[in-house]
This record gives sequence, C-alpha cells and structure tokens, in this order.
Amino acid sequence: MATTALTPAASAYRSGLYEWLTTTDHKKIGILYVVNSFIFFFLGGILALGIRTELALPGVQFVDGEVYNQLFTMHGTTMIFLFIIPMLVGFGNYVVPLQIGAPDMAFPRINALSFWMLPLAGILLFLGFITGGAASAGWTSYAPLSEDRTLASVGPGQDLWIMGLTLIGTSSILGGINFLVTIFKMRAPGMTMFRMPILVWTVLVTSILQVMATPVLTSALIMLFIDRNYGGHFFDPSNGGIAILWQNIFWFYSHPAVYIMVLPAMGMISEILPVFSRKPLFGYKAFVFATAGIGALGFSVWAHHMFTTGLVFLPFFSLMTFLIAVPTGVKMFNWVFTLWRGKLTFSTPLLFALGFLSMFLLGGINGAFSAAVPVDFALQDTYWVVAHLHYVLFGGSVFGVFAGVYYWFPKMTGRMLNESLGKLQFVMVFIGFNLTFFPMHQLGLAGMPRRIADYASNVGWNDLNLAASIGGFVIAASMIPFLWNVFISLRNGKIAGDDPWQANTLEWATSSPPPPYNFDHLPEIRSERPLFDLRHGRTGH
Amino acid sequence: MSSSPGTRPSSGSILVGIVAVAVVGAAATWVVLNGSQILQSFFPPEPKTAQGHAIKDLYDIVFAIAAIIFFLVEGLIIWSVIRYRRKPGDDELPPQTHGHNLAEVIWTVIPTIIVFFLFFVSWRTLNTVEAHSPKPDLLVKAVAAQFQWSFEYLPADAPPDAKPLFTVNLPVGADGGLTLPAGKTTHLYLSSPDVIHAFYVPQFLFKRDVIPGVVNQFDLTLDASDAGQTFRGQCAELCGIGHRVMMFEVHALAPDAFDAWYQGKLTEAAATPTPVPSGAANGPKLDLVAQNVKFDKTDLSAPANTAFTIHFDNRDPGTAHDVDILDASGAKVFDGKDFPGPAAQDYGVGALPAGTYKFECSIHPALMFGTLTVQ
Repeated sequence: MATTALTPAASAYRSGLYEWLTTTDHKKIGILYVVNSFIFFFLGGILALGIRTELALPGVQFVDGEVYNQLFTMHGTTMIFLFIIPMLVGFGNYVVPLQIGAPDMAFPRINALSFWMLPLAGILLFLGFITGGAASAGWTSYAPLSEDRTLASVGPGQDLWIMGLTLIGTSSILGGINFLVTIFKMRAPGMTMFRMPILVWTVLVTSILQVMATPVLTSALIMLFIDRNYGGHFFDPSNGGIAILWQNIFWFYSHPAVYIMVLPAMGMISEILPVFSRKPLFGYKAFVFATAGIGALGFSVWAHHMFTTGLVFLPFFSLMTFLIAVPTGVKMFNWVFTLWRGKLTFSTPLLFALGFLSMFLLGGINGAFSAAVPVDFALQDTYWVVAHLHYVLFGGSVFGVFAGVYYWFPKMTGRMLNESLGKLQFVMVFIGFNLTFFPMHQLGLAGMPRRIADYASNVGWNDLNLAASIGGFVIAASMIPFLWNVFISLRNGKIAGDDPWQANTLEWATSSPPPPYNFDHLPEIRSERPLFDLRHGRTGH
Repeated sequence: MSSSPGTRPSSGSILVGIVAVAVVGAAATWVVLNGSQILQSFFPPEPKTAQGHAIKDLYDIVFAIAAIIFFLVEGLIIWSVIRYRRKPGDDELPPQTHGHNLAEVIWTVIPTIIVFFLFFVSWRTLNTVEAHSPKPDLLVKAVAAQFQWSFEYLPADAPPDAKPLFTVNLPVGADGGLTLPAGKTTHLYLSSPDVIHAFYVPQFLFKRDVIPGVVNQFDLTLDASDAGQTFRGQCAELCGIGHRVMMFEVHALAPDAFDAWYQGKLTEAAATPTPVPSGAANGPKLDLVAQNVKFDKTDLSAPANTAFTIHFDNRDPGTAHDVDILDASGAKVFDGKDFPGPAAQDYGVGALPAGTYKFECSIHPALMFGTLTVQ
C-alpha cells in the first residue's frame, strides 16, 4: 500500500511542474513572465552593483576595461529587454483578458511560445560571460565598435547578444499581435472601446508600437550579424558602409521602445490612482488620446539620441521631442486631478503610484533639457543622460511595476502582501533611488562621461559618485523586505477575497485567483467602472 | 499588520515615520549649510568659448522653466497627498468628477505654447553654435583613434584631407594637446580612422561625434580672457577598452604667445626629422611589440650599467606609441620618441644602475606598462 500512497503525491508534484511548463492559460503565463522578469531584474541589479562598486572611489579597484564594459552593456540589455519590457507584458498578459471579460488570450499557444523564447534568450545573452566575454559595446552596440574584431574588445558575446535580442524581438512581435487580436476581438458584450480600462488602452498602443518597430530592430540585428560573420559592409565605412546607419535603425526601434517600457506602467498607475482616491480617472478620453499621441509622436523623435552626430536634421527632431511633452503633461495633470478632492487611502500600491508620479515628473522635465539641441551638446553621453533615463525607467516604470505587484498580488495568489513590509520597502527604494540617480545630474553637468570605469580624483566627482554607490546598495537592500514579504505572504498572508481594494474593473469580479477561463458570469458593463456601478449603482456617478 | 482606518498606526509605521523624518531633516540641514555650492552644481561649468556662452544662456532659460513646472506640479502632488487623505471611518464617496474639458484645453494649450517657445529659443541658439566663420583664424583637424587624440594643423582653407603643416601627437602635457589662440576663431575638422568617438570639453559645454567615413566640423572661439588656461577634454562616446583613458587637453595661449608657438612648430617640422638615436649596436637587444594598445610583454630585463637597445615594433595602424622608462621615484630616465604604426624603431637606452624600473607608453600609460628589471 505504501507504493500506492506515494504514487499520487509524486505524480501530483510532477503534474504541477508539468502544468507550469506546458500551460497556455494567460494567467499562468502572466505569472511566469513576472517571475522570469524578476529573476533577470536581480541579475541586472547585481551587474549594476558591480558598476557602482567600481565607481564608488576614483582609481581602479574592482573591474576595468573589458569586464567593466561587459557589466554596463549587460546591465542595460538585461534591464530593458529581459526585465522591464517582459515584466509589463506579463502584467498585460495576466490582467488584460480579465479586464475586458475574455476567457483567455486570442492565441494561447502562441502566447506560451512568446514567453518561452525569453528565458532562452536570457541564457544566450548571459552565455557570453563563460564563452570569452559577454557583449561589451554598450546596450546600444554602436557600429562600427560592435563589429570590431581587430581590437578583441568585442568578443563572441556580441554574436550571442544579437541572437538573444532577435529572439526577444520575435517574442515581442508575436506578443503584440496576440494582444491586438485579443483586445479587438475578445471584449465581453458591453465592453466598448471607450469603456476599456486605461491599462488595456496602453497595452493596445504598446502592442502597435511593438508590431511596427520591432521588425526594424530585427533587420538591424541581422545586418550587424552579416557584417560581423559574413563580411558584410552595411555599417563599415572603410568599405563603403555607413557607420551612422546603425544608429538610425537602432533608435527607430529603441525610442518607441522607451514608450513600450513606460506606457503600460502609466496604465497600471491609472488603474491604481482612481481606486485609492475613490474617484474615477480624471479626463478618461483625454488620457486615451494622449496615449495615442505619445505612441504616434514616438516614431518621429528617434534622432534626438543622435544630435551630437551632426548628421540628422536637428530642428525637426528637436520640435518633435519638445512636442511629446504635451501629451505627457496632459497625463500628469489628469493623474494629479484624479487625486484632487479624492479620499486617499495610503496602501502600498498608492505609495508606489505616487512615487511614479513624483519621480517620472522629474524624468520628463530633465528630458526637456536634451530636446534643446545646444544644451544636449553639453549633456549628451554624460551622467546627466544616465540620470534622465533612470528617472524615466526606474522612477517611472519600476515604481509602476511595484505598484502593480502590490495591487494585483492578491488577485494572482488569493493572499494580501504585508503592508508594513511594503511601506518599509517603498521608503528604502525611494531613498535609495534618489540617492543613486539624483547626483548623476550634477556629475553630468560637471562633465563626467558615461561608460568609464575610472575618473580622476581631482575633478570634483568623488563625493557624488560615492553617494550614488551607497544609494545603489540601499536599493539592493530594499529587495530584502520585498522578497521576505512575498515569501511569508504566500504562506500566511491575509486571505484577499474577490475584491480587497473596492476596485473598479472586471478582474475583481471573479475569485482570487480566478478559475480557468476566468468568469462564471460577468456583471453588466455600462461604463469604464463596471464594479463601481455594481457597488453603487448608476447614482454613484 | 495593516493599519486600517480607525486603528492606531502600528509600531512599524511609526518607526518608518521617525526614520523618514530623520533622513529628511538631515538632508535639509545639509542643503541649508551648503546652499550656494549646491545651487551651483545644477549649472554647467563657467563657459570658456563664445559658443559655450550661448549654450549656457539657453541652459539658464530651460532650467528656469523646468524648475517652475517641477515645483508647481510636485507641489500639487504633495498638496493632494496631505490635504485629501481619507479620514478614519469616512465611508462616504467623494464627488465623482469625470473630467473637465476646459481644464484639458488649458493644460494642452499652455504646455504647447511653452514648448514652442523653448523650441524657438533653442533653434536660435543652435544657429549661433553651428555658425561657421567664413574666415577662421586657424584650421585644425582633430583625429580620434583608439585610444588617443592627435591634432593636425592645416593651411588656411585646406580640405580635411590636406597634408598637415605639423602634427601634435601627444594628447596631453606641455608639448601635447590642442593649442589654440585665445580670442580667435578656430575651425575644427573631426576625423576617425576606426570607430565613433566624441570630442568633448566640459568647459566648452560642447561635444561633437567623431565618425569614421564622415568629417564633422565646427567653430570654436575661445574667450580672450582664457589665455594661459588649460581645459580638460575626454572622449565621450564608448570606443572600446581604452575609452576612459582617451583624454586630451586644450591650451589657450594669448595671440602673440600662440604665434611664437606656431612658428616654432613650423620650424621644427621644416627641419629634417632628427633620427632616432640609433646605436647601442654593442649592447644587448630587447624586443617589444605594441598591438591592440597593449605591450606583448609586461616584464623585460636588461644588464646593469650597460647600454642596451629596445627594438620597438608598433603594429597599431595610425596609432602612435612610445616607450618611456621610469625609475622607482617616477622620474623619467629614458624618453623614447613616439611614432605611429605600423613601423619599428630601435631605441638606444643608456646604461642604467641595477634596480627595478617601470616602462610605459606615455600616450597610453593606463593600458601599456610593465616592469624592467636591471641586474
């Protein structure tokens, strides 16, 4: 009898693992995306700590030359392509079908395929470290440096980088098409376009950007691969190629990619702010048009990364870059006026959403400096740019991601995260973030270029670099309460119930976690807040 | 653990509050004590060129507008957070405002006006910065190669590929760097034989990429008051393992001092190049190769009190290297003349007393060095 008692337990365990490896359920795939992205977030964070350790003091103490270049190249690549983008796709995967009242994504098996390309791509990228050196030409991999074989400064890791990114790009295109079909074809009865939650709108615009921009990146990657391995000369000026061509194609994808990395996070906090203010989102339609406006303008600003090349038409790209501040400003004011005269409950999701607002504001404003072309001549490729991009991508996207984790964790697991640990994490990450990245503005103004392993001790950069390095370790420490929180809450967290936040959107109308195929029955959908209507009736408006 | 409305805050959140107040208090004290220095750090360094002054003026305008918007919106956020907290036990819904069309129009139109204003002022400044003088006082081609700068002084009105009058190969130091007349306009060509670099001098508030296959150009007008000063420059575009060592200096000389320097360089170039001290045919011969901005050896040894020869093979095309020997105190006991590869020369080194010395390439000391044991 002992054997028969063991067999079910063992096979149950195996079937659990088997289920996760083969699942086509959008909720499980969404969770896989989130977990996978967090793993790469921690790997990318370790690389960042390597950078900050080296830069804490002048002089070379820790890593130099090639290894240092690998650290910042892989840090940028990992955080952008293996953390932020897939993390937001993961939330989209989990939440979008629920929010539009659909049973699953339109193409569940393509959905699984899109996910499983990512860990594979991550392994390819990191394989560089054990095959003679990871990619080291920066996450932007500017040609002809990325094609340079004579100096041995860019090793086989560069080819692995190209393969990894091509896989991620393919995953992104498939995922984008899947979202578009899901959103256009699978909305529940009553869920008109202008009743869709803002998160769904942002995922819609993001998917359009992905489908239109990513193939361009893929073509650039293939050209680079041909140049490196088969004697092509696309980017090689000594044989009639054009060095700057790479930058034009690369940024044609990678600037829209900035919006791919921030629009869904904007969508997430646009869900969270109304719930914790107990008010509808201020200016829903203006918000939708602003999102579409950012998506459209996002395709006409790529060359603002190239002002100092002197080879692009500066006034056009300057104007377009300035103009993109307008729809972004509209969003900012709509968020602030969602809070205005609300009744705010300071749960952890709202804290992180407020962190997003206040930090993304600075990241938007310090971007305007670079839109003024002559000012960009002073700031480009200095630490100012590093400050700017981290205020957008960390202050914006990462704060948005944590807001989303605290907000949807109860739906995903059925249990609440601990509020005290959540608040502790928020305070630590907020202080650590500003201590790390705020001084980089001053470093950039004082003339410190990016991507250098060492700096002279007599040029006045010492204190600011030390502050930034301390801040980096504070950010790292803030992940301890977070991981501990997830660990204990999964075991003993408070039971969430269907709708712990008194929220507005359909995912809270089903159980936590939802059953396969999501809904037994749907409430009537007569506005963008069906659950609010259910709770308060139409008189609530 | 969660502090729901109506209950007292948990000890955890009190602790968090105390820590937050302490941190904010400490930061505020520090800011008050170092006010002017901190304010200064939000501005670029004092500009040293006519173009830099124009950029600084534009920076000030952008900074003022940015600061106003930042404090306005951040203030609104903080005000909302303080003012509109939900009171414990208050379950009544706030007014359900869905939007306000006039407000949307206002915060679309006003930012549009502001960004158009910013666009026009920066366009105007751009035209100043990008203007090329029809008759520059000096024409120089800066060549950026992995991982060093050299400066070719060209005849007036020459195209970028003209034969230089003379070339300064050392990027830094009293005999190296880019030497320019203060108060006059220099036209610069930028050229790279390998990958993309960037010419960047923080005190000029300016950088321009140096792109292979393309010649970028710009004007630089040093202030007359800069005479006698030296400015630090650095490559600003990642160019490989030696990126961080790609420094250069700009020396500003008063016009008459510059003319004297310039004439001296012309005379030097016209004279037959002094042959590198050949010789020491009687001494032992050491081989040293420079390739990919690295020496092939990090250890050399030579007999004490005997002259010897270093056969130095520079295999880096277009990149100059040399070999200097330094004693334990860091004093230079042998100064080899730099030359671009691919080429080889014999350096005759005089007799050295026994001891341990350092040898290095004076152009790439951070990447190319080793130990010479004399016994």
